[in-house]
Amino acid sequence: MSRTLKLAAVIGAITSLPMAPSVAAAENLKVVASFSIIADFAKNVGGDRVDIVTLVGPNGDAHVYEPKPADAATVGSADVVLVNGLQFEGFLQRLVEASATKAPIVELSKGGEVLRNSEEEGHHDQEKAAEGGGGHAAAEEGHEEGHHHHGEYDPHAWQSVHNAELYVKNIADAFCAADAAGCDTYRANAESYGQQLDALEAEIKAAVAEIPEDKRTIITSHDAFGYFEHEYGIKFLAPEGVSTESEASASDVAALIKQIRQDKASAIFVENVTNPRLIEQIASETGLKVGGELYSDALSDKDGSAATYLEMMRHNITTIKGAILGS
Amino acid sequence: MRTNSATAIALLVSLSTSAARAEEVTAWRLFISDHADPKVTVIDAIDGEKLDTFEIKGPASLHRSESGRTVFAVQGTAGVVTGIASGISFEDHGEHGDIDVEAPKLAGIEITGKKPSHFVEHNGDFAAFFDGEGVARIIDEKSVLEGKPDFREVKTDAPQHGVAVAYGSHVLLSEPNREKPDELPVGIRVADKTGAPIGGIHACPDLHGEASSGDILAFACATGLLVVSHGDGSPAVRHLPYADSLPEGKTTTLIGGRGLQYFLGNYGVDKVVLIDPTIESDAFRLISLPTRRVHFAVDPVRAKFAYVFTEDGQLHQLDVVKGEIANSLKLTDPYSMDGHWSDPRPRVAVAGDRIVVTDPLQGVLHLVDATSFEKTGDIAVEGKPFNVVSVGGSGQTHEGE
Ligand SMILES: [Zn+2]
Repeated sequence: MSRTLKLAAVIGAITSLPMAPSVAAAENLKVVASFSIIADFAKNVGGDRVDIVTLVGPNGDAHVYEPKPADAATVGSADVVLVNGLQFEGFLQRLVEASATKAPIVELSKGGEVLRNSEEEGHHDQEKAAEGGGGHAAAEEGHEEGHHHHGEYDPHAWQSVHNAELYVKNIADAFCAADAAGCDTYRANAESYGQQLDALEAEIKAAVAEIPEDKRTIITSHDAFGYFEHEYGIKFLAPEGVSTESEASASDVAALIKQIRQDKASAIFVENVTNPRLIEQIASETGLKVGGELYSDALSDKDGSAATYLEMMRHNITTIKGAILGS
Repeated sequence: MRTNSATAIALLVSLSTSAARAEEVTAWRLFISDHADPKVTVIDAIDGEKLDTFEIKGPASLHRSESGRTVFAVQGTAGVVTGIASGISFEDHGEHGDIDVEAPKLAGIEITGKKPSHFVEHNGDFAAFFDGEGVARIIDEKSVLEGKPDFREVKTDAPQHGVAVAYGSHVLLSEPNREKPDELPVGIRVADKTGAPIGGIHACPDLHGEASSGDILAFACATGLLVVSHGDGSPAVRHLPYADSLPEGKTTTLIGGRGLQYFLGNYGVDKVVLIDPTIESDAFRLISLPTRRVHFAVDPVRAKFAYVFTEDGQLHQLDVVKGEIANSLKLTDPYSMDGHWSDPRPRVAVAGDRIVVTDPLQGVLHLVDATSFEKTGDIAVEGKPFNVVSVGGSGQTHEGE
């Protein structure tokens, strides 16, 4: 792969996209965000000094996204590229190579508290699986040749508000490095947004505290809430792993249904980025009622109930609490 | 076949001691058919040595599987498709991949029938369409490698120059032109696994050419593309019309981008078109060539590039991000497109860092360095080397397994 990178360097950066609408806009920092949640953070930090293009938009699934030649052109003309890292964006390397971009590729999860992927098979320890991080332990023998591995770490780090604060700090650092004149603005924006994140975290903790401890096990479609579980003490079980790329096998689902019955799960939810079919099937087999839709890897569109990160986290905890305590 | 636990132990050892026990290996193989003789020659693309020659029943066009573990020789005149085990396979271990290199061999699978033509893979299922019968015979890669003739068959209403794609638990089948049975199919039908149709016909006049890129499958029609993606329960089919701004023309050969999601098609005799099927406007970018087009291929390693060979003997490096020709290189004497469509003319394949162009009339393969886009050498091949596919890559081999 290094050979390919060298090639990209020789060929040089792609000329910028046509049409700079105005002088003011042309001076703005051109920011590419890999997916909607990062774009929202970037908007809060950058304000009107940045123009943001989002590769994987609202309700889109970054795990399985296929980059287009137009995306490579966008990345090629960017000043800063913001990504999650931890192999969340499986398309990242080929996109960056094809783009021949000179922009820094900033991995926002860097320096954060990172959890191991509980599903990691074979050569890593299984401690997280043993404590119930995934419903997969019983189904290992179904391992197929060519099965795709998804890296060592759980990439959904933004599901902990602490980590979101770090993402925001990393964005401010990246913007300061690219646009020193705006640095004070970026820092001030990051500071005030950070206060909103603090308030959000307090709300989530208060909401969880109202849920009896023996009712804090719930089901979602894919293993996207490991950080939420770790930080806030709600246990999530899922038929699919940390990536939506490979579908759950019949034995995975059977193991999960068994576990749901043993653990007395309180509620089951669909996710905005996954097909609801499997969750509906599990709901009907276990008698659990689908308690609503959670937003895991993408925001809703702007008319939805999770158009920003703050709304998304509030929507999720309200939906979880409502389904468990509801009727 | 090694077990999971053996692999885990080998990996731990290689991590804890040093890289000495895990060796990085690169292997690429070229499979070349002859324009006149019934044979497939296998050449080591790295040292240029001939590995083997397989006798088959007729001149063949070649297809490699997505995994690269199998190559198929479609022998239209001989009425047979022959499966070949490439000998190179990979196993993904997350941080690294293992490569397994064995001798290439005939897999022991032959798919027989009248006039085999389009041969399409989707997710490890191969569908060979037999024009003379209007029937598709479908088999998966595992069965081919085990030499098990585990076919299933789906029938269309009439013989046709058609196509079938095994699409998960469905099959996509071309619909013959009932009024004019000798002409190209008029649409696509979604069928269940047995071939029983579900819903109506998706119109696709003059259907010819299909390809996959990422999770999208496309068929080329006289009016545009039929774009197939995963729907709720069954495949979702949508028509993407050619833009009004395009000149008169249509795509009849389609290939799918690797690494980036796009399609590359012919359009008129001296143009190609880059297609992004996910957007509504500006989905088509037309690129003019200096002369008529002979063959084109995408680069599976450098997602940014595709290659087009033209009748003036030039290979062109196409930048699919910019939508323009980035480099051109003269490789052969002129190969006129006058004459029969199946006359011997160059074909292009990419093997790692090398682009390979067959030169059937000179009996050689030209090698071009994909990084510098300069010619680096030739490999002589007996006869008229025609169709070419490559398989290979890099991976680790673990000592003591
Ligand atoms: Zn996810």
